[in-house]
Amino acid sequence: MSVDRVQLKVRLGSFLKVFEPVLFARPYLKNRRGIFTLVIVAGMVSNFTLLLVPIYIGDAVSALEAGDYSSILHISILIVIAYSISGMVSFIVNYGGQYISQTFAFNLRKDLVAHLVRKRFLFFETQTSGDLLSRGTMDIEATRNFNLSMFTNLFPTIFLIIEAFVLLFLVSPLFSLLLALIVPVLIILGMLSSRRQRPIWKEIRTTYGKLGETLQENVVGQRVVRGLAAENQEVDKYSAMTKEYYDENYRVVKSRNTFNNLMPLAVAVVSSSVIGFGGYLDLVNRTSVGGLVAAVTIFAMLTSPVSFLGRMIVFSENSRAAIGRIQEITASGGEEDVASSGESLLPGMLGFDHVRFTRGDIVILKDVTFRALPGEFIGITGKTGAGKTSMVNLITRYYDSDSGVISIGSRNIKDIPISLLRSRISIVPQEIILLSGTIKENILFGIQASDAEVKRASALASISEFIESLPLKYDTVIGERGITLSGGQRQRIAIARAVLRNPLILILDDATSSVDPDTEISIFDNLKASLKDTIILMISLRASALSFANKVLVIEEGELKEETYGEEGRYVDRI
Amino acid sequence: MGRRVGMSTGYDALEDKFLKPEKGKRTMLRMVKDIFYWKKESAQFVISVVVTAIAGVLYPLALGFAVNSILSRNAHLLLVYATLFFLLYFVQFFSNRWMALSSTKVAQGVIKRMRDRSFEKLQRVPLEFFSKVKVGYLISRISNDSESISDFLTYQLPQVISGVTTIIIAAGIMFHLDTRLALYSLIVMPILGIFTITLQTRVRSNYLRTRRAIAAITGNLAETIAAIRTVKAFNIESHTESKFESLNSDNFRANMVATRLSSFYSSIIRVIEAVGMVLVIYEGSISLLNGQISLGIVVAFIAYVQQFFNPIVQLSQLYNTYQNSVVGASRIYSIIDSNPDSDFGKDPIPAFSDSIITDKIKATYESSVALSNISIEIKKGECVAIVGRTGAGKTTLTNVILKFKSPEEGEITIDMKNLWSVETREYRKLIIPVLQEPFLFNGSIFENIEYSKRGITREEVLSLIKRYGMNEIFHSLPKGLDSPVGEMGRNLSEGQRQAVSIMRAFVRNPDIIIMDEATAQIDSKSEKSIITAMRNYTKNGTLILISHRFSLITLADRIIVLEKGMVVQEGTLDYLSKEEGIFTELYRRSLNTFSGKAE
Repeated sequence: MSVDRVQLKVRLGSFLKVFEPVLFARPYLKNRRGIFTLVIVAGMVSNFTLLLVPIYIGDAVSALEAGDYSSILHISILIVIAYSISGMVSFIVNYGGQYISQTFAFNLRKDLVAHLVRKRFLFFETQTSGDLLSRGTMDIEATRNFNLSMFTNLFPTIFLIIEAFVLLFLVSPLFSLLLALIVPVLIILGMLSSRRQRPIWKEIRTTYGKLGETLQENVVGQRVVRGLAAENQEVDKYSAMTKEYYDENYRVVKSRNTFNNLMPLAVAVVSSSVIGFGGYLDLVNRTSVGGLVAAVTIFAMLTSPVSFLGRMIVFSENSRAAIGRIQEITASGGEEDVASSGESLLPGMLGFDHVRFTRGDIVILKDVTFRALPGEFIGITGKTGAGKTSMVNLITRYYDSDSGVISIGSRNIKDIPISLLRSRISIVPQEIILLSGTIKENILFGIQASDAEVKRASALASISEFIESLPLKYDTVIGERGITLSGGQRQRIAIARAVLRNPLILILDDATSSVDPDTEISIFDNLKASLKDTIILMISLRASALSFANKVLVIEEGELKEETYGEEGRYVDRI
Repeated sequence: MGRRVGMSTGYDALEDKFLKPEKGKRTMLRMVKDIFYWKKESAQFVISVVVTAIAGVLYPLALGFAVNSILSRNAHLLLVYATLFFLLYFVQFFSNRWMALSSTKVAQGVIKRMRDRSFEKLQRVPLEFFSKVKVGYLISRISNDSESISDFLTYQLPQVISGVTTIIIAAGIMFHLDTRLALYSLIVMPILGIFTITLQTRVRSNYLRTRRAIAAITGNLAETIAAIRTVKAFNIESHTESKFESLNSDNFRANMVATRLSSFYSSIIRVIEAVGMVLVIYEGSISLLNGQISLGIVVAFIAYVQQFFNPIVQLSQLYNTYQNSVVGASRIYSIIDSNPDSDFGKDPIPAFSDSIITDKIKATYESSVALSNISIEIKKGECVAIVGRTGAGKTTLTNVILKFKSPEEGEITIDMKNLWSVETREYRKLIIPVLQEPFLFNGSIFENIEYSKRGITREEVLSLIKRYGMNEIFHSLPKGLDSPVGEMGRNLSEGQRQAVSIMRAFVRNPDIIIMDEATAQIDSKSEKSIITAMRNYTKNGTLILISHRFSLITLADRIIVLEKGMVVQEGTLDYLSKEEGIFTELYRRSLNTFSGKAE
């Protein structure tokens, strides 16, 4: 007995979960309560008027039967009015419902992006961009679609069922009792059926994410795919995935099929017994058939709302699977505070004091201590995989050290607001990302600066000559990933972007690897001459580049093995 | 904000020029063809829908007869018709199940093929395609747009077919029952038709706009995600957000415009329906008054008018979703229809035996000349270095040799065969590039290496790594060869990525290797051991090196110097270091040290 009660509670709980997507939408629909209510009321009015039609038809039939032809005109007018009202009101339902659902999607997308750009670097190591993308697009769309149905149809449907119940009760209390019996039975069956579908919906959403992921990887890596003549291999891989998607979609339909069709069948059982039994009573009692016709018509009209409820129970699973994936992004946690603080950061010494940094079980930096003064040009070198990039990533707080202190001036960088820290440190990473837009937009990259300043930064990066040789100069549009530029040109645009900010610390992470030695020399000369108060940290493997440094730090097995001071500014390759 | 909207439409216009969307009618015909590609499934689908529809149409008939039997006080007939009524639903129960399964098979089958075909086409289009079309926009077409088609096929197409069936049957029965009454019910049809046709163009362009708006969102989001590290590095999070927000509100507006029209449309349709129905009731009652028809027939007729109008209203509403999916389909077909790489060649090329010769090659990007009048020869077994300033055309030259890019003028031959007549994929098995940006696939290091040579064992890979002196590079990775590289290899350092991409080329043991700055991020000691080991290993192999690194250049038998797309110097290191020119300009510092060391 008590076990039964627990089970019932669980079922009731899982029934309420059908509404989870609607609750999820609540915070995104603040100040939209009025329209929301209007849509619900309009939906009910629309359905109410529609349901009056079978009553009128029943009246018409009774009138015809009784030979009362004069009321036919009257009833006809009523029908037209009912339909017209329902039509007008349904405009409010459709348009208003769409308005709410689009507002929901708009705000959700906005929130998702706001969270996404604030996630810490670690987050992106565990995610793939194709999958993140499908969360931001199709998962949101799936939830929006479900909620659109809920907003526009749920309350009207429930209302319709109740109304049908009342009307049926007026026609015949017995018929309404039948209705009262089947609806709860169907809901419980629906719950049972949807529970089995939950895992499949999750798989579908995941596979959809994987499809995007594979596609994106393939497009970005086209040169490699073709260079290795691996096209067919890729096609097979993608095709296997679309097959998986096909199978999962088929499985979910198979599992929901019986239940979904049981709903109209149940309604049919009831309405046929109404015809049989009610008809028999009419026949025996010689009463009017108008009531019977009305009752059957009401039942026929109930088929679609009852099926709708069944569908909603099922699609709620899909939407909840999507929400789960969206929430992995929108749930706070692992986010950085990037708001600007209004504070300023003064030039000062950069200090590493016994810094230790590990990733999982691996010690990347064991114990690193060094100092760099404004105006110094520091070279950082070491074997491939030695931890050079990891070390500079700590300065901008992409990652945090395990122990030890990194400071600028006398301030621990952990006490400096991230936005301030990053706006005063410019980095030119190994992998140069240029956004689609003009060269100028890419050099400005979100800050304000005059054309002259942009030109000056480009000149420092030895790229101004090239840019000015282009027909549109600084307004030249470059491709999504800067495809039409050569590697060295992209690196130099990235250097111009970094220099334009007049940073306290400039980090060049192998930033001239694709630049020819001749140009490289002129860039370093320029930087040294014009960034007098900037600490320049340059990661490089090239002796020619390192020879520019005032001192060279060599990372070996997580430690600074030696600080090699250049003899007459010359660094000798030791690795 | 207005300006940005302008920018995004600018891209859309460009994209449309490049990926031409088809006309609605042709797209529809192609979709029909794609549906019937699944012969068995689509047959099942159509049959089950028609059976469901027929059963649906027959209820009112059963109901009407039941009413008549009550009126004629015939309990026996009443039982028969009540049972029939139930049986019709029972048939529907099965046909509906069948329909759901077959419509899913058809819908999922259609979009699977669409996705597969467009994916396959992406492997065959010229590489310039990818510099014109953005990744996010492609994903939006292939992933999102096809989803709207699947929705249409799974949920709406059955309604369309059953709607049409119902209309035909209902009309047939109505005409059979009473021709005059039936004609009355058809009065409103022309009004409906004219109304629909008037709105057609606007509905379609509205949906095109919504599909574009969501593609712009996808494109922007894809770019933001790809650039996330740079976005954070430059602290432009809020700038990125506001850019996204303007696209987000474009999308919102586009959808609201589309909805306004379609909601208006369905409201009007309902009023038209009511008028049609009342005409029938009124006319029916007059006929009844005149004793032309029985009450049962009038009841059945009223039911049929509803049966007749419901699908018409539904179809008109579906018309909106239909437009939406046609627009989606045309966007996918335009990818499938893209021209494949012009010349794939047929001549077999099992091995490289003599030389690659370029004769007066000219290559351009858009309007700027990247290479002009290049005539070089690369002999089998040679190690040739190509040097020059950035933008001198080095990578373009390798792209031409790799058949990634076709030259506008001149000819390239391999073993005296025209490069464009040899079978591309066979050729690319001889020549493996190690590219400037080492792109890795998400997976383990081993999986990435195995990618280029199926069936290679871990032991083989490990011994090769040792032979090339690369073991120290992977030293810091906890799981060794099984370490996950992350998306695009981001969990590895650039140098490690380069090492993996070099291994990927070496395991194929190709005849020719092209290395385009492929060791730029590898420390010089490891680099030297890689090069030396490789030279010993590929005694008969040919190596084309593109590098700025002097240490690498010293390994070459011959050096070709490019400047502004032309060959300006050529010769051995000894020769070039004595000849005053670009080469000495570029490497003065290194040459000094070098000769210092040599002395």
